[in-house]
Amino acid sequence: MNTSMEEALRLEAVRRVYGSDGNRVTALDGVSLALPAGSFTAVMGPSGSGKSTLLQCAAGLDRPTEGRVYVDGAELAGGGEAALTRFRRERIGFVFQRFNLLPTLTVMQNVTLPLKLAGRRVDRRRARSILERVGLGDRLHHRPAELSGGQQQRVAIARALVTEPKVVFADEPTGALDTRSAREVLALLQESVRVYGRTIVMVTHDPVAASHADQVLFLADGRLVGRMAAPTAERVAEHMTRLGELVGV
Amino acid sequence: MTVFGLAVRTLRHRAGGFAAVFLAMVLGATILMAFASMLDIATGDVPGAARETLVIMATVVGGWGMLLVAFAVVSTLTLAVRQRAAEIALLKSVGATPAQLTRMIVGEAVALAVVSVALAVAPAALAGRGLLALLHDTGQVPADVGYAFGPIALAQGFGITLVASVAAAYITARRTTRVRVAESLVSAEVERPRMSKKRIVAGGLFLALGLDLAIVTVTAMRNAGQETMATAGQAAILASFGLAVLAPGLVRGAARLAGGVLERCGAAGDLALASLRGRTGQAASVVTPIILFTGIGTGTLYVQATENAVIARSGLAPEEGAETIETLNLVVIGMIVAFTALMLVNTLLAATAHRRREFGQLRLAGAAPGQVLGAVALEGAVLMVTGVLAGTVASVFTILPFTVARADALVPDGGPGIYAGTVAVAAALTLVTVVGATRRALRVPAVEAVAV
Ligand SMILES: Nc1ncnc2c1ncn2[C@@H]1O[C@H](COP(=O)(O)OP(=O)(O)OP(=O)(O)O)[C@@H](O)[C@H]1O
Ligand SMILES: [Mg+2]
Repeated sequence: MNTSMEEALRLEAVRRVYGSDGNRVTALDGVSLALPAGSFTAVMGPSGSGKSTLLQCAAGLDRPTEGRVYVDGAELAGGGEAALTRFRRERIGFVFQRFNLLPTLTVMQNVTLPLKLAGRRVDRRRARSILERVGLGDRLHHRPAELSGGQQQRVAIARALVTEPKVVFADEPTGALDTRSAREVLALLQESVRVYGRTIVMVTHDPVAASHADQVLFLADGRLVGRMAAPTAERVAEHMTRLGELVGV
Repeated sequence: MTVFGLAVRTLRHRAGGFAAVFLAMVLGATILMAFASMLDIATGDVPGAARETLVIMATVVGGWGMLLVAFAVVSTLTLAVRQRAAEIALLKSVGATPAQLTRMIVGEAVALAVVSVALAVAPAALAGRGLLALLHDTGQVPADVGYAFGPIALAQGFGITLVASVAAAYITARRTTRVRVAESLVSAEVERPRMSKKRIVAGGLFLALGLDLAIVTVTAMRNAGQETMATAGQAAILASFGLAVLAPGLVRGAARLAGGVLERCGAAGDLALASLRGRTGQAASVVTPIILFTGIGTGTLYVQATENAVIARSGLAPEEGAETIETLNLVVIGMIVAFTALMLVNTLLAATAHRRREFGQLRLAGAAPGQVLGAVALEGAVLMVTGVLAGTVASVFTILPFTVARADALVPDGGPGIYAGTVAVAAALTLVTVVGATRRALRVPAVEAVAV
């Protein structure tokens, strides 16, 4: 199926229940969705609505209690942690709110790490060109601690893109950044979709950040409760306010 | 909230991070008080020769035990405080002054020391009883001399543990709290790349003292019998301390030497190398007990083997008191081996548990659990080899002068088995502990591990 509507991510009735008898929390309560390749989707919802859980289940970082997850047409691997790691390596990239760069590695080493771990050829020229694209061509040999938050996040994006994954998941990637750095990061994410055809799923609390996406999915109490195409910051903010009143947050 | 209140709360909430310090203190105080109780016994109605044995036992062996304990407390406490660099930076950023932070850290150490010594009283009395039974069995102390655990044991236990803890806490605290806030917030996880002048001087001083004893052994002590053995034995202990103090430099050297090989070991090698370079302090605290274990253990064992062989070859009856010295030696070896082995395991567990977040980040970057284990095992192997080599060098400070002075030879008796055995134990302890602790750390899901 190699049409323009090729599917990058599909969730079928995904449930995730935390805890055991007595103190169960249903973080995801039957979420189904399908995202086409080359799309940029924002996920929004009140705190505790299950956004991070959704991202982790979709990205193979966590296993759903029930339901199925397909990334790039392949079902999430069964088996142990090693199998899951191999599955993620080939298909998935991550960007986190707290960057999660290795403090002892340089910028260049951080970016090439996923290739080395996957036993793939390390193409330094390409890694460098990606770092140049995110504006860090002159910081290759610095340690993360020597960079600003915005710069660290751009390194993290370069690292997520270096393996050419089908889907990049980002959990509040601008949550720790000032407005200007946030705008740069969002522009980079947008570019990776428009120019390089990546698929991006981004959790955010910021209506402005969400307005960079093609569509916004709204989550409340572990369920999908709305969808908005061609979002603008004002409409998203308004929808969030109504959602807040609805679930009483 | 008072600073002391903050200290107590920290201890309660970070029980894990202080477990290593706590264990070092309890074990250390146990050893200290067990030997010190020999002095309590000696104050009773004891015949002259037996009293002398008891006093030697307490002062000679106990004296080295004291240094060892102080060293263990300093090393584990330094590790514990360093692991909290981020938290300390945070406290500074919200307005804690260096003086307040120093009081907090010293307060924690004092609280821990007091509780540790109190807990060590019962096991120390038990161990002291064991020591006395040993002296009864070998006929060095008459059977009617009973056991006593009194004021001397308690005073030494509390005194030495407290002084060592306060000194260690104070030095570490000053080093940690004097860094500027901005600097400590960003570099909380990566440390300064150089050893301080003070450290180099201290290490050099220990080595010079060790060398001095080595020279004294071959010159002044040439035919002094048991004295030769005691003097030579101390040379390795001092040299081990010296090299342990210089451990950060050794780790850096090892990283440079092993670099070429590690770079050819794929991603695991790269990671091990980066970790050795970027976290020298943590690595050094792991190397320290390996040096002490190898240096002191090998040195003492070969000296005893050579002494026995020399006596056997001479065909003469063993010198009077030789038995006491051998018993003492075996007790020292036993104590040091047990203590440094425990410190090794202890330090490794603390250092590895602290890396949970880093392991999580690695896994999120695509490392399979096996790759994380591989990287950590490689790193552990480099540290193990570094420690064993340094320990071997330290043991030469004892072995060579002694064999020259006592046996007119360059090679000690006892064969290669003693060395092989010591190295095998050091290697097994290091690798089994590192891999076991990493396995445990990997059981936490990656996302949870990085969310700390
Ligand atoms: N490991 C866990 N164990 C138990 N409950 C959990 C766990 N992780 C999340 N939860 C619960 O699951 C629910 C959803 O959490 P999740 O982190 O997905 O929310 P979120 O939408 O990302 O919130 P936020 O916007 O605050 O990040 C919450 O009620 C949370 O308390
Ligand atoms: Mg979240």
